[in-house]
Amino acid sequence: MIARPPAAGWVSSQGRYAGAASRFTAYVIDLAVSAGLFALGLAGTSLVAQVVTGHPVSWSRTNIIVAVIFVAWEFFYFGYSWAVSGRTFGMAVLGVLVVRADGRAADPWRGAVRALVFPLSFLLFGLGFLGILVQREHRALHDLIAGTAVVYAWDARAARLRFLARQADIGAAGSSGLAPRGPEP
Amino acid sequence: MTDPVESLAQRVAERVVEIVVDALDVNALVRRVDLNAVLGQLDINEILTRVDVNALLNRVDVDALLGRVDVNALLNRADVEEVMRRVDVGALLDRVDVNELVQRIDIDVLIGETDLGAIIARSSGGAASEALDAARSQAVGLDQFIDRWVGRLLRRRHPGPLAPTALLAARAEP
Repeated sequence: MIARPPAAGWVSSQGRYAGAASRFTAYVIDLAVSAGLFALGLAGTSLVAQVVTGHPVSWSRTNIIVAVIFVAWEFFYFGYSWAVSGRTFGMAVLGVLVVRADGRAADPWRGAVRALVFPLSFLLFGLGFLGILVQREHRALHDLIAGTAVVYAWDARAARLRFLARQADIGAAGSSGLAPRGPEP
Repeated sequence: MTDPVESLAQRVAERVVEIVVDALDVNALVRRVDLNAVLGQLDINEILTRVDVNALLNRVDVDALLGRVDVNALLNRADVEEVMRRVDVGALLDRVDVNELVQRIDIDVLIGETDLGAIIARSSGGAASEALDAARSQAVGLDQFIDRWVGRLLRRRHPGPLAPTALLAARAEP
């Protein structure tokens, strides 16, 4: 009989308030993804404009129109993601989710409000984000205004299954003197 | 008043019948009766419709009856294969609450004691899911490390709430 592998502590975190590292990493991923998508969009628009007008079109970072469109795009990227699913791409990667302060699913309008007040947390040298570190519920200024919180929401049960499965596989391979079996090509 | 002659005749008749019955070998007589032919003339269904089966069953001590049954001997005589062929497995499964059944399974024990673990390990996304699990677990570990240090710096004696109230309640439910 194979001994039951020890439980991994991290898989039991589902539903708990997410901490600063997870949220910051998710935000960095989102910044990269949204900026990349914006750059792709600009490049595509330039190409279409060039084909239609026959003149090369170039965009400058200092162009006010580009800046305004970029800010609007960022609002859309974060606001739409939070309103529709409660998470952005980066948050999905890190397994965190925006919920209401009491833990229930966030309403779409709450996601939109969160995106609108999100820039406020950058004011005063980013003091609004300090709440993620020091506030007991890890809520930033925009969370407090929108009545939201961020929790771990990755599928801990499936992760535990995979964890246990890998442990069992490694154990079986070790007892038979074989290397652990990887996925079939 | 009864006629004396009639009375005498009745006594004689009774005596004759008694002598004849004594002289008869009833067993031999019954052996000569073709019971199948007799039963063939009976309308069994008609007879059964007259029987109050419930009243009959109320008089039966079923426990005592079952106590006398040798179930093992009975099963030995049963053709289980034939019985199984008659079972409508689809209808049977329709009556089973599979979700309820799955909830009763202790997945940890199942994986620990069978080769299911190896099957899942080979079929659950492989390196990608493993890397994602690892990245998330690292992030959660770093979150907890930062939490501990912030708690020490702020000299917190009591940790904050672990989760929002609705999610805490959901976790507390079995």
